[in-house]
Amino acid sequence: MHSTLMFILIVLPFLAAIACAVVPVKQVRSAVVVVTGALLVVASLLLIGKVPFETSFTSMAGLPLASMTQLADFLLLGFVLFLGWKHKHLGIKILAGAQLVILFALEAFMMDHHAASMAFVADPLSLTLVLIISIVGSIICIHAIPYMDNHEHHLHLTISRQPRFFAWLVVLLGTMNALVLTNDLLAFYFFFELTTLCSYMLIGHDGTEEATNNSVRALYLGSMGGLALLLGAVFFQNMLGSLEIQEIIKLAPSAGYAMLPMALLCVAAFVKSAQAPFQSWLLGAMVAPTPTSALLHSSTMVKAGVYLVLRMAPGFVDTTLSTYVALFGAFTFLATALLAVSQSNAKRILAYSTVSNLGLIIACAGINTPAATAAALFLIIFHAVSKALLFLCVGTIEQRIESRDIEDMHGLFVRMPVTASLAVIGVLTMILPPFGMLMGKWMAIESAAANVPVIMMLALGSAITLLYWARWAGLLMSHPLQGGVTPEVQPKLTKYPLVALCGGAVLLSLLSPWIYSALIVPMIDMVNLANPQAMFEAPYVTSKGMLGADSGVFPVAPLFLVLIVGMFLGLRVLKNAQGAREASIYLAGAQSRTAQTPDSFVGPVNQPVKVANANYYLTRLLPEGKVTCWVNTAAVLLALLLVVGGL
Amino acid sequence: MQAILDFIKSSRIKSPWLMHFDCGSCNGCDIETLACLTPVYDVERFGIVNVGNPKHADILIVSGTVNHRNKKVLANLYEQMPHPKVVVAIGACGLSGGVFREAPNVVGGIDKVIPVDAYVPGCPPKPEAIIDGVVLGLQKFAEKSLA
Amino acid sequence: MMSILGFLLALVVGVFVAPILGGLITGLDRRITARIQSRLGPPILQPFYDVAKLLGKEKLLNNSWQAFCAYVYLVAAATSVVLFFMQSDLLLIFFVQAVGAVFLVIGAMSVPSPYSQIGAQRELIQVLTYEPLLVLVLAGIYVHTGTFKISGIYALEEPMLLKLPLLFLVLGYALTIKLRKSPFDISASAHAHQEIVRGVYTEFSGPYLAILEIAHFYEVILILGLVSLFWSTSFVGMLVLVALTYLAEILVDNVSSRMTWRWMVTSAWAVGLTLTLINLLSLTM
Ligand code: SF4
Repeated sequence: MHSTLMFILIVLPFLAAIACAVVPVKQVRSAVVVVTGALLVVASLLLIGKVPFETSFTSMAGLPLASMTQLADFLLLGFVLFLGWKHKHLGIKILAGAQLVILFALEAFMMDHHAASMAFVADPLSLTLVLIISIVGSIICIHAIPYMDNHEHHLHLTISRQPRFFAWLVVLLGTMNALVLTNDLLAFYFFFELTTLCSYMLIGHDGTEEATNNSVRALYLGSMGGLALLLGAVFFQNMLGSLEIQEIIKLAPSAGYAMLPMALLCVAAFVKSAQAPFQSWLLGAMVAPTPTSALLHSSTMVKAGVYLVLRMAPGFVDTTLSTYVALFGAFTFLATALLAVSQSNAKRILAYSTVSNLGLIIACAGINTPAATAAALFLIIFHAVSKALLFLCVGTIEQRIESRDIEDMHGLFVRMPVTASLAVIGVLTMILPPFGMLMGKWMAIESAAANVPVIMMLALGSAITLLYWARWAGLLMSHPLQGGVTPEVQPKLTKYPLVALCGGAVLLSLLSPWIYSALIVPMIDMVNLANPQAMFEAPYVTSKGMLGADSGVFPVAPLFLVLIVGMFLGLRVLKNAQGAREASIYLAGAQSRTAQTPDSFVGPVNQPVKVANANYYLTRLLPEGKVTCWVNTAAVLLALLLVVGGL
Repeated sequence: MQAILDFIKSSRIKSPWLMHFDCGSCNGCDIETLACLTPVYDVERFGIVNVGNPKHADILIVSGTVNHRNKKVLANLYEQMPHPKVVVAIGACGLSGGVFREAPNVVGGIDKVIPVDAYVPGCPPKPEAIIDGVVLGLQKFAEKSLA
Repeated sequence: MMSILGFLLALVVGVFVAPILGGLITGLDRRITARIQSRLGPPILQPFYDVAKLLGKEKLLNNSWQAFCAYVYLVAAATSVVLFFMQSDLLLIFFVQAVGAVFLVIGAMSVPSPYSQIGAQRELIQVLTYEPLLVLVLAGIYVHTGTFKISGIYALEEPMLLKLPLLFLVLGYALTIKLRKSPFDISASAHAHQEIVRGVYTEFSGPYLAILEIAHFYEVILILGLVSLFWSTSFVGMLVLVALTYLAEILVDNVSSRMTWRWMVTSAWAVGLTLTLINLLSLTM
């Protein structure tokens, strides 16, 4: 049974990718994507009852897995080297070359290859990630089917490039599943590199100059992460004589200097999660078609970074490294939230907010208490769902209004009532109780409260987060009191994924106490198993749908009760409001009096002039260029501190 | 239920929020109107608050003559006030156009454009007279139904 | 575990008594303000007359979403007060009231009137300014008591004010911004009438404005409740502290003029963060 599940989760997407790439028929491709998605969802759900377990394969479906990955690793690096040569990028060439040499040295001289098998460990942490990758990822892939048709129609392509696109999209799902399930650091490294390649391919998909440049940047920075990871692996192999992740976590706390490779791994994670100063590749990635952004750069791939930190976190409980990781995460949370304030491009807002939230998760990993770990896991889950929803909404909106500037979304409700409402709900699930993101933030703040620098940054960051979300949600909903709203028609494959994600965000929030007892408590037990010195206890107790502890309580179910009753009455208020007299907006009495020119005032020569409003972006206070410069400098210093001070 | 309705009705007289619109007055009437709001006359004693927004206002106090340029503005402001509402016209100009009524650009008094509930004569009227006019308007305000 | 009776009591007090108390305090505020300006001022019950009158006015709206937002603001404010009386988690209470703040802004932003838009943007900046300060005050309370629960504060032997004097000042600073009192009446002002014709409130009228007023009554109670926690050991001490704090607020309101939002953000953060830092460090040392 395990091997079948593993096969579906890891190998099937690769096979599906081959099918997508070679069969040029649209219907077949769509069917392959939908079926693969459905199988992934089923397999990941079946996995729930089975964790924790360990398993290792010498071969899967007759293929010698371990030696294949070893070979593929060299091929992959060779390919990256080729790309560096093709784009005449010295940095990529050096990084890829260095990795080739180091990998060869590692494989040839330091490791013994008697056990050529591939070990997998499925525990609650990897299960959570598998669920996100398989369910949210599949939903995004399905949403991409009609999206890419529109996209290519818009670009007037004669030969569809969709086979290539969908192939890389589903490859990513398999790669991510493998990445979070593997127990071998070297295999982890391979899949880590493979995700970098996927993002290079998908960012550069449209082939414009900007897309190519940004994809090269992603490859370059990704290779830096790869190098850090590989160096970390070399150190671990030398110091501990093992590359098994569980083994490393067990041995690292008592081994001298083990914090140096840990710090290197953290740096690799920061690159993948686009933490400052590496955020530029993720911002650049926003040129890609929206499904790419949704899949790679918000809900799944960037989670590989935080996954790595969380995975390793039990190995550095109560160390200076842990403190620095917390500081670094909190700093990124605050700094990138500040950067998001000056943005009016919806995708850039989403990008910065993603970096910011990943920073918060990393801060939680660095605080490294059970409550903080719980917070991190909640944040991962709910961020994936809500952010995927928002990305897909922006994609859908963009295809209709041909702009991703939020200033062009004033009164979007009139044109796209469904998508606009879903986007507003998406935003609300990001920032307000009783939804899961906020609960994660609540846990994070409560567990960081005694850490003065971290709590200060978290407090400032969360207020700034509220600012850039609320003003976006605010401008979507303006519409005339009576009539004027055109019903929205969308293809099924566009609408259902959005509705599913939205429903998921709300429903999962309601279920959070149960998620807590089903996923997070076992995960903390696993931490104790891995690092017996940690001696963690479950931070909260759940009863009657409430999460409680000595330090605080979050009554999830009662708040949802208020929410449901409130919504029921709220809908009546809405209906009741329909009977009101429609007012024109206040314009100091100068509004034009004809129904044809709403929201206008009488201007020169008695002509109606439509009012124009725009948000405050505080660009004079926080110019993006300057702030980025400061943030990067500070982040580089912090990262250096992390590597050096971690020793 | 009846008690609540009665309370609402009696509250109306106790909480008139007024908005002052200068419809082309010579400023004489405006100064006298604002004088009512100073500590000397302290109309907040009666719950009167000067608001700047027709949507919050119960009483519209208009001074000055209506001309072809500002008649639309006057009508707009009146329309944006939620019912029940009361209009008090201040000064000779507000009543009839006053000394300006023969001028070619002048429409006349306030009631040429919107219905007026109380007229306060004078050029300009004393603050006491204005308060008197507002009180007269208030009685009508309390009696008015929602429509 | 809280008994059913206690729960019901908190519910009743939170939902029904709190707004009445809040209205009375607002009335008192207007009266004292008038006396400071050597006027007589309106009756204490004036806020209730205002609300009753507004409730009896015509419904006038730009869109129905506005009505919904006003209503959510009210529900959030009431919920946060009920949670307060149930001695729940302070951080949670704070987040619940933030729901109201956000919906007020969203409602104001849904109307394309420049006045309401500017008010909403400024209100967001006010939220941005006071939020971190309040979170830090709560974190300070946690460091001192070891819990975010209000019940933990009532278990203290001596008043919190003695240990957290600087954080109390920060709280005062933040609350002045939250209550939109001068010099921070930036997004909607009760006094300087004309400039942005009451900012965020511009497009709310009649019954919907009444809903916002009632929600404000709840917020006043929540804020004063927060202040009272700093002298949790005796009822008299609580009353004195609350009265003094509120009088100070009114005094500041009357003697200062409105400042710009830039000044608000920089001054509040500079002062607030420094004081918090000193107080937190002195606690953790
Ligand atoms: S009535 Fe007299 S004081 Fe008033 S506006 Fe007319 S001219 Fe001026």
